[in-house]
Amino acid sequence: MHTLKQNKLAIFIGLFPALVIYLGIAIIPIGISLYYSVMDWNGIGKMTFIGLDNYSRILTDDTFWLSVQNNVVIMLTGLVGQLPLGLIMAMLLNKGLKGSGFFRTVGFMPVVISSVMVSLIWGMIYNTEYGMLNSMLAFFGLESWQQNWLGDMKWSMLSISVAYIWQNCGLYMVIFLAALQNIPDEVNEAAELDGATGFRRTLHITIPMLRSTIMVAVVYSISNSFRVFDLIQVLTGGGPAHQTEVMTLYMYNSAFMNLRYGYGSAVSILILLFSLIVITIVNRLGREKDA
Amino acid sequence: MVTMKQTKKAALLGLTGALALFTAACGNGNTGNAGNTGAGGNGEETITLNMMHPWTSPNVDNEVYKARIAKFEAEHPNIVIKQDGVPSAQYKTKLRTLAAANNLADINVVWPGADLEPLVEGSLVEPIDGLMDNWKSILPESALAGFNIGGKQYAVPTKQTFVDIIYYNKDMFAQVGYTEFPDTYDKLIDAVTKLKAAGITPISLGNKEQWPLQSSYLSIIGDRFTGSDFLTKVINKEAKFTDPDFVKAIAVIDELTKLGAFNTDANNMDSVQGQDYFIQGKAAMHISSSTVDARIRINNDEGDKFGIALFPSVEGGKGDPVKSAGVVQYGIAIKSGLNEKTKAAAEEFMKYFVNEDLYKELIRNGVVVPATVEIPEDASPYLKEMLELTGKGTAPVFDSIIPTQVVDVVQNGIQALTVGRGTPEKVAADAQEAIDQMN
Repeated sequence: MHTLKQNKLAIFIGLFPALVIYLGIAIIPIGISLYYSVMDWNGIGKMTFIGLDNYSRILTDDTFWLSVQNNVVIMLTGLVGQLPLGLIMAMLLNKGLKGSGFFRTVGFMPVVISSVMVSLIWGMIYNTEYGMLNSMLAFFGLESWQQNWLGDMKWSMLSISVAYIWQNCGLYMVIFLAALQNIPDEVNEAAELDGATGFRRTLHITIPMLRSTIMVAVVYSISNSFRVFDLIQVLTGGGPAHQTEVMTLYMYNSAFMNLRYGYGSAVSILILLFSLIVITIVNRLGREKDA
Repeated sequence: MVTMKQTKKAALLGLTGALALFTAACGNGNTGNAGNTGAGGNGEETITLNMMHPWTSPNVDNEVYKARIAKFEAEHPNIVIKQDGVPSAQYKTKLRTLAAANNLADINVVWPGADLEPLVEGSLVEPIDGLMDNWKSILPESALAGFNIGGKQYAVPTKQTFVDIIYYNKDMFAQVGYTEFPDTYDKLIDAVTKLKAAGITPISLGNKEQWPLQSSYLSIIGDRFTGSDFLTKVINKEAKFTDPDFVKAIAVIDELTKLGAFNTDANNMDSVQGQDYFIQGKAAMHISSSTVDARIRINNDEGDKFGIALFPSVEGGKGDPVKSAGVVQYGIAIKSGLNEKTKAAAEEFMKYFVNEDLYKELIRNGVVVPATVEIPEDASPYLKEMLELTGKGTAPVFDSIIPTQVVDVVQNGIQALTVGRGTPEKVAADAQEAIDQMN
């Protein structure tokens, strides 16, 4: 009993600095944000308490719902684009291809490049006048396929999604690769003895073995999708006319561009709520299957 | 209490840490009031002044400002100017963010009117009435008015910008039968139609940042239809954005869009790319500020190809068609609450920086200034032409009068028109709703 107590103290002392930092940069600001969110405040002058006015204004603002819709697009892009692609790439690498180290580096590169660089690169690719994409289409004689990729309402979200997949799938590739390499050889050998090869083995052995890793990746991908900001800010700035705006951009524009700090804080609280709700749902679904 | 407030504000910045990339909130944390007390050459104290400015792009006037700062430092060895240059597209955002954290630089470049008001309201900038004798003889009241709030002067401008100059390619207009720039709206539309038919993009537009259509277009088109007192009336609730005249002005953007007057990628080209597109001879017109004249004509070997004009008169319009939409820019303001020595140094800097020599140097480089100084004989003929064009009366610039959050609604509304969404009536109604919501 005595030793346990001492251990607890040691654990507490060990964790204390991290706890202070976490409280300081995560928990307390959320509280402050909550406080601002019920205020009418331009960031400089006097604050006035206005109750839930900010929230009711946000929830009746079409632009906000457009940004929520775009967030859903980004979330689905992550789930059905990045994760499967990351998994496929990881499996290919796990087969022990020649030069897999090289491919792993190449695949992971977009993750370490700054988002602003990624956006600038894709901005050039999508450029209508001299962009690589339109030039390539012209090269193959497909002029009629050329588009105003970022400026056209029909294409802008899709174009952003492609850039978003490119940017992040390397991360999931590395996560999955690590998990794949942890599957004991005996399991695979046993599966093969039982006649499970190729696709069947992937479906019935590999993926179930990766379940917990996949769940983590799903949660990570969702929370990542709620934070997407810089990619879109640089590529389109949320335009044309809010068509590619996401919640973080909406918050940024409200607070910093339009000097509505209270309103912006309320948006940030809503972002937090939305991501908590979605992640809770996903966790529930994951657990039910376990049972 | 002050520290408490500061802590709270600092925490707010922490929360939006992900955004720090753009606001660069973490840029210069140490805009401390106290100067360094290092020993100067002759035992004098060295004072460090922090200065934030948007003079990062290679514009002619930016070079002039920076040269002047360097000269000041050379002549004042005990004062060091620590510059924080922020690209102009992000400058206002950073200024507001630092203001919210009560963390402004000692010397700041500020915009007049609606942009300055919150800073004054929060007592963040120092009145400089005591210094005004320095500029009494060269700065007319019209140049100072925007920086005068509640009877106190907070900044002096370095530059006058006309935002609505139409640059046009003379050859292309001649090609469709116009040897002079169209002087009525109907003729302009006729020219646009003919240019389009000749396979020429009529107007190059880079509206990714959204301000060009609002500032350079709507300011002056609105003025032509409504006359110059409309925007102030809207603020005072004596007029509404939904008034038919203003809706007609918005409808001009809609009409130009439907005629295919703009380049297809107008919304993902920024303003500088828009200029390039015009300079490279890919479009017949470009509407932008007088500052751009340096790139398009003064420093361009082929500058003669291009002419300048103002937006033509419109039928039944209440505005005077010789007016140009102008605003004074780059007010130099001092942060309030500096200690005595720093404040003295900041005032010394300001007196030195903004004086006749600066204005003359700017003019020599083809920049329009708000001061009444003699125009040097060797000034560019292009500048003289610009002064001639813009010297017949000034119309207000939309975003220097209308509060930011309403401007945002208008910008997004007219951008939507350019992609075929919404109607001029809807844009006007949304703008009116936004301004009604403000108080």
